[in-house]
Amino acid sequence: MNHLVNEHAPLLVNEELGRGIWLMTVEAPAIAAGARPGQFVHVRIPGMDDHILRRPLGIYAADAAAGTVDMMYQVLGFGTSRMTELAPGAAAVELIGPVGRGWQPPEDARRALLVAGGVGSAPLHPLACELAAAGADVTAVLGAGTAEALVARERFCAALGREPLCSTDDGTYGRAGFCTPLVAEALEEAAAEGRPFDYVACCGPEPLMRLVAGLAAEARVFCEVSLERRMACGVGACLSCVVDTVDGKRRACVDGPVFPAEEVVW
Amino acid sequence: MQRVPRETNVRLAVDLGGLAMRNPVTTASGTFGAGREYHDFVDVAALGAVTTKGVSLHGWEGNASPRIAEVPSGMLNSIGLQNPGVDHLKAHELPWLAEVGATAVVNVSGHSFDEYVAVIEALEEAPVAAYEVNISCPNVDAGGMTMGCHVPSVEKVVGMCRAATARPLIVKLTPNVTDVAEIARAAEAAGADAVSLINTLLGMAVDARRRRPQLARVVGGLSGPAVKPVALRMVWQVARAVRVPVLGMGGISCGLDAVEFMLAGATAVAVGTANFANPHATVDVIDGIIDYCEEQGVADVNELIGALEC
Repeated sequence: MNHLVNEHAPLLVNEELGRGIWLMTVEAPAIAAGARPGQFVHVRIPGMDDHILRRPLGIYAADAAAGTVDMMYQVLGFGTSRMTELAPGAAAVELIGPVGRGWQPPEDARRALLVAGGVGSAPLHPLACELAAAGADVTAVLGAGTAEALVARERFCAALGREPLCSTDDGTYGRAGFCTPLVAEALEEAAAEGRPFDYVACCGPEPLMRLVAGLAAEARVFCEVSLERRMACGVGACLSCVVDTVDGKRRACVDGPVFPAEEVVW
Repeated sequence: MQRVPRETNVRLAVDLGGLAMRNPVTTASGTFGAGREYHDFVDVAALGAVTTKGVSLHGWEGNASPRIAEVPSGMLNSIGLQNPGVDHLKAHELPWLAEVGATAVVNVSGHSFDEYVAVIEALEEAPVAAYEVNISCPNVDAGGMTMGCHVPSVEKVVGMCRAATARPLIVKLTPNVTDVAEIARAAEAAGADAVSLINTLLGMAVDARRRRPQLARVVGGLSGPAVKPVALRMVWQVARAVRVPVLGMGGISCGLDAVEFMLAGATAVAVGTANFANPHATVDVIDGIIDYCEEQGVADVNELIGALEC
């Protein structure tokens, strides 16, 4: 069973990667040692006592040897704005983690398609590393609003040893428009080559995940998605973050955040 | 990382209407699951009691999402008493609580008078130390708060539950009434061994830019530090109006908060929303009560109950 810790985590890095998307690296050895790809941390941000809830953030990287955890966050509201003000070397956050059911690719997955929209790239990055290390042939598709927001591209290049397929809404990098045509083409080409994908993983805005789940289903490829909901406890107690599934309402925090797409009622 | 309260010579045990608690701190129903969810953080057997999530006879699906919204110094929720039903609680959660040595208080919910009784009857052979009758949930259309706002329905549901069990019966009251003391007296007259309050205050949050409510159900229950002054006032009013003990809650996040409720008349307290920010909150509250007692030369925590000097 996955054990949770509440770790006091000094900040090592807190920098803007591009267009309101930030990288935070913290020292959290217990979480770093236990984290599996697709899990998240539930972050208590100091200095905002009148905002009482933690913020769930996907784990972008967990380095067990260094004892560090990377998180990517997009500045959207009060909490994430406040996070940008925290100074590395001085501030610390408190993390509950590693939380949740992560990615569960088929054990014999040989060819995987990972699809990320925006900061959805974060929880897919550890999966890319793990699949590549296991010898799978991994194709990554990254979509973003504009070139500067394609902040994970270099890490995916490093993990996979090749350029991910990219799209930007404004055409400043890669294919112009949404990333779903790239996904459809990748699925078709793989099938045409006679080496179809055996796993699709997607994290991003919900409309994207729904579309990708549909494309994967058409291509008869097993697909997982990572869902996000407003969350209070982050440990499975409060039932705030439930997702509609074929088995009824299930908790995004501990039954997810990763669900087989076929179980999600969109 | 599993915390227990620190050692002390202060006597911490309290008697909440026949429920023996090793210390005056339990959990607010719905914020702590059935205890297991927090066992990595606190030894739930070291708490005065674990009060479980509201349970109905058969499972309830609860409300649509979004179910919560953060508001200044608090949060709104409209979970809607989602639960898998009393059989699941009996088969999975209560045996676990018994195995770890926790004192279990089961929060009982229903859509009808008969359903409350049926839930209690289903639990009479199970390892349960007390029942908390939930006539105060603001997030369901039938049962819950609709029963807890009027003297006749309070008397009826509490009377029927009383007849169904000899175990300690705690009645959880809603703050969404004109006169909470009148409701507390009705519960006492119908056989309650204790009353607990407050449940959440009915509230609402709006996203102006989208012109939409923040909660799918539009309205929900306010909890957290924002409600503490209201909760303290109501605990004080009720403690003066009834002879049965009071379980106080509403925005408690540290030992001093708990002491304030006890001074206002509470025999025990519950920690709720604070668990979300701080998964060690229950043990922190117990430790804080110990700190206060040692500082103030209080040998027995019972000395604090109703000791407010007005």
